[in-house]
Amino acid sequence: MPIKTLEVIRKRLEDRPAELNKLRENGQKVVGWTGYNVPEEIIHALGFIPIRIAIGGDDRLVEVGGRYASSKNCVFIREIVGAFSENEDPYIQQTDILAFDATCLQNFRAAEVIEYYFKKDVIVLGVPRNFYWEEGKEYFGKEADEFTRLLEERAGVSLDLTKLGESVALYNDIRKTLKSIYSFQAAKDNVISWVEVFDLIQAGDLLDKKEYLALLHQTLAELQALQHNPVIEVDGNDARIFISGSLIPRGDRKLINIITSVGGRIVGDDIWTGILPHLDLDIKEISPAGVALAYLNRTPHAALPYLDLESDRRLKKLHELLAEFKAQGVIYHTLRYCDPFTFKAKETKDVLAKSAIPVLEIHTEYAGSDYEALRTRLEAFVEMIKIKAESAAEVTV
Amino acid sequence: MANTDLYEYPPELREEFEATEAIQFRDGSSATAADVWHFMTEIAPKRYPFAYTQKKYAGVRLSRDIHLPSAIKNHYLLLTMNDRITKSRENGAPVIFVQGGQSVDPYYAAGGIALRPASVGLWARGRHEGLGLNEEVVRQHKQKEKAYHAISFEACQTAGYENIQEGGLPIDMVAPFTCLRCSDISYGVEAHRHGPNKAVKLMNIDYPMRHQADKKWAVEYFAQNLRRLTNEIGKLAGRDVTDDDLSKEIRLHNEGRRLAIETAELWWSADLPPTNGVDRRSLYQMGGMEVHGDPSASLTVLRESHAYIKERVKKGIKAEGVVDKPIRLFVCGSCVFPNDFRIEEAGAIIVGQDNHWSDISTLVEEDGDPYQNLAHAILSYPYEQSVELRAAWTIEQLKKSRADGVLFLYQWGCNTQSAIARMLCDTIKRDTGIPTMIIEQHEGGSEQSEQLLNRVNAFIEML
Amino acid sequence: MSLKRNFFAGVDVGSLAAKAVILEDGKVFATGLVPSGFDSVESGLNALNLALETAGLKKEDLTYIVGTGYGRVSAPYANKAVTEITCHAKGANFLHPTVRTIIDMGGQDCKAIRIDEDGAVVDFAMNDKCAAGTGRFLEVMAGVFKVKLEDLGALSLSATELVPMSSTCTVFAESETISLVARGEKPANILNGIHHAIANRISGLFARVGITSDVFFSGGVAKNNGMKTAIEEALKVTIVKPEIDPQLIGALGAAVLARNFSKKEGLWS
Ligand code: SF4
Ligand code: SF4
Repeated sequence: MPIKTLEVIRKRLEDRPAELNKLRENGQKVVGWTGYNVPEEIIHALGFIPIRIAIGGDDRLVEVGGRYASSKNCVFIREIVGAFSENEDPYIQQTDILAFDATCLQNFRAAEVIEYYFKKDVIVLGVPRNFYWEEGKEYFGKEADEFTRLLEERAGVSLDLTKLGESVALYNDIRKTLKSIYSFQAAKDNVISWVEVFDLIQAGDLLDKKEYLALLHQTLAELQALQHNPVIEVDGNDARIFISGSLIPRGDRKLINIITSVGGRIVGDDIWTGILPHLDLDIKEISPAGVALAYLNRTPHAALPYLDLESDRRLKKLHELLAEFKAQGVIYHTLRYCDPFTFKAKETKDVLAKSAIPVLEIHTEYAGSDYEALRTRLEAFVEMIKIKAESAAEVTV
Repeated sequence: MANTDLYEYPPELREEFEATEAIQFRDGSSATAADVWHFMTEIAPKRYPFAYTQKKYAGVRLSRDIHLPSAIKNHYLLLTMNDRITKSRENGAPVIFVQGGQSVDPYYAAGGIALRPASVGLWARGRHEGLGLNEEVVRQHKQKEKAYHAISFEACQTAGYENIQEGGLPIDMVAPFTCLRCSDISYGVEAHRHGPNKAVKLMNIDYPMRHQADKKWAVEYFAQNLRRLTNEIGKLAGRDVTDDDLSKEIRLHNEGRRLAIETAELWWSADLPPTNGVDRRSLYQMGGMEVHGDPSASLTVLRESHAYIKERVKKGIKAEGVVDKPIRLFVCGSCVFPNDFRIEEAGAIIVGQDNHWSDISTLVEEDGDPYQNLAHAILSYPYEQSVELRAAWTIEQLKKSRADGVLFLYQWGCNTQSAIARMLCDTIKRDTGIPTMIIEQHEGGSEQSEQLLNRVNAFIEML
Repeated sequence: MSLKRNFFAGVDVGSLAAKAVILEDGKVFATGLVPSGFDSVESGLNALNLALETAGLKKEDLTYIVGTGYGRVSAPYANKAVTEITCHAKGANFLHPTVRTIIDMGGQDCKAIRIDEDGAVVDFAMNDKCAAGTGRFLEVMAGVFKVKLEDLGALSLSATELVPMSSTCTVFAESETISLVARGEKPANILNGIHHAIANRISGLFARVGITSDVFFSGGVAKNNGMKTAIEEALKVTIVKPEIDPQLIGALGAAVLARNFSKKEGLWS
């Protein structure tokens, strides 16, 4: 039973670049943004069209990007730089202004490289490493004000707080609806797959926000009609996989495809292009600093160091999500030279081992050359989970 | 192992050397030149034979410019690192791991000892005696490998993990300036949280970026970081840290920085290089007062050497072993440095570098709130500015040092400097026409790979 | 009355060799090992036929066949395909029930597998990005020293010193080795350094999996005694003496699984 709205969304995405082009001809500006802590509502409230720059999976662009940055930058950043160099991506072509943040320093460097070589107008939002200190929060609030000021300069208008309030309400509704939809994919006898929801989440990076919200409501209504009461529980035949680690952007399907092809069922994620950034975002004050702080207070990105293992919120959230979606194994995915996640691979594995959750580390890049090797590993991991589940079942019987 | 191939200082030098000045330490004690001579000729060859290697390929060889007292004294201070730091620590000074390319005034102001990664390595090295060069290198590799296991093979900067977590080195705190220069360091600091050594305190001194020195709130935030830092170190050292403590320390460190700047200007003005590359570099670095784990010691040696350099430049004396008109190279980038000996054999000399020089050549305002002043100075490091600004400053140094070419070196796995390399080199070429070359160094070791040296040599030949 | 005899086969097609093992209930009945050709189906069949020939059996005599290795994806002769990781675990457990970790160093990759007392995989890690610890790496080194691959280990064991190697990346290690030779370092000492550098590097892989004794060392490189010694030193473990050619362990595990699967499917009892 395919969800009809998903088809509508696919169609809308096809038309979107041309539509953006039209809007720009009529004087609207597109802000291409990337970075975990970019408060998108501010961009939206200023009348810009926000588009998220998150593409991956193209080894050729990685190669090109490496020539401007270096071969030691993460593949994601190299691909982004390469995409600006080649200027073939239909969305990147439509960007007038770029907004990057310094959550991950590689992202920050990419901003410099793109500014330098491709003469793009780039705004950068500073992000504190000591994000849990009051001083760090205050600094970030000021950075958000500055970020807003720079955007206002380009918009030619000042930020209207009523509009900001409206944008926040709109985004809050999007986040809430996404969360409801997300639980359907993890349910027993699910009518929508994780991959479909993942695509749905990413569609929101590109579509008009109001329209997107309407489409989400429509999707949710369809799901509710098909399945009244989604129950999340372990089914004997599944190997329920949770994906953690580096982001998986639009265009990068290698890992996801292999997992599904070897019989794994993805039931959850805490990656930056998945559900995580939409969770726990609680805006308490309608102001640039208020919105920005709510971003900073979410589950922290791995690029922001936290020095006490016991009280680490990122790991706590991971545990929560694993329990919520009844995952049986974690695939910890890291992109080549993505230090924020790679440096924590062993630690994450050790921590989860204490809760007897198996972890498979996958370190990869966008080249297809490791496809076979990845498949062997993922298949063995799925076998391992199934065998474990079977013997557990035998014991209980 | 047989020690027959070890270097020996010529005994006839003794008298001349013993007439030079004593080294004054921060705790009020001192080492006379005779003490230094005794240690360097009698004791160290037995305890640290690797340092006396004569192997042509080793980068750790002792400077052969034996008439320059700082050369021997510098080696003395490096080889006594373990003895001295262990003693100071026993006397209550906490030892803190910091980052390269940063100043250390606040750490000392609070009663601590600040050591950058290379110095922490030296301290750890000093705890293993009697090793020949190969054995020492194998030891280092094995140790480093442990950090890779615990963190990542793509890690370049492990924030001393191998020594602090795996090697039992009693560091009290890991508190580098984070984000400055290196993107790995903050993850390195974080990695300590899962190591077995729970006693070590962790802190990131958060360096904001992007026009940071022009943003009041960024300066304020960094100043707050510095306050927290001195406060934490003060707790470890068992003392209250006053603003006055910091002001005093800033003045002391400014003296070192000024002396280094003067020394550099003298050195650069000379027709013939007054020292070899190894000694030049250590003299400039002494101005940062971090290298020996004792600012006073660095300062006394630097003061004495300054007079020597002045004399040599005035009389047109060239350092032993350097060719008459060497090709002058300037090095950019962090954490890798070419083997000076080999560079000089090829007819060139390294006249300066941006890393470390960026912080050493930045003076701190002495009047007013010391935290604000220090924060502002640190956020102004030219190395940490946008590419255009960093390039403009680098070009100024290239002109002052009359460099013929620029080598940009970075370590395998370094995301930050590698990303800047091409932009910086392109800007330098665009604005000055000076040839540049970017080289990636693949993993460390005492003997640099032939590949790297071949490329450097080809570059020298081209110039 | 004569009960029907049950034979089970495992076929493991790797990048360098194809292996087959035929099991009769509790014991190895016959084996076959042939170099891999371009066609993985053919290679697998060649190995299987060789084993059948040795056993004096026909393919029809086999109750169940499990395929494994890179060739498992397209193995029409097999009833089921299972990864070599699961198979290695089963195989090692079948031969040595006390084994808890398997270190496999093959031509293209190297892996560490931790198993429980039933031979089920508990954790594993695999290295294929960096050539360290693979047959490929050692082949390159053998080329540099102009010696046979199988002689590398013995040469390294004759070293008097350990020359530090800073790199375990094939490309860099090759050039580093060439410069060390040019500087007059002895080949045996350099090789000693290389073996230790590899052992240290891959012990990181094992550190993540958690190493528990006993250890079974399999794959083509397992025949290199220099490597075996270096690993024992780096990991502070003892490696069990294999009862069969360690290269056959994957195929053996596949045969054990063939027996289990066919029983579950009610093909015999
Ligand atoms: S988090 Fe990882 S993938 Fe993302 S920009 Fe940073 S290094 Fe790249
Ligand atoms: S080379 Fe780069 S990443 Fe490595 S320690 Fe130095 S600055 Fe950091």
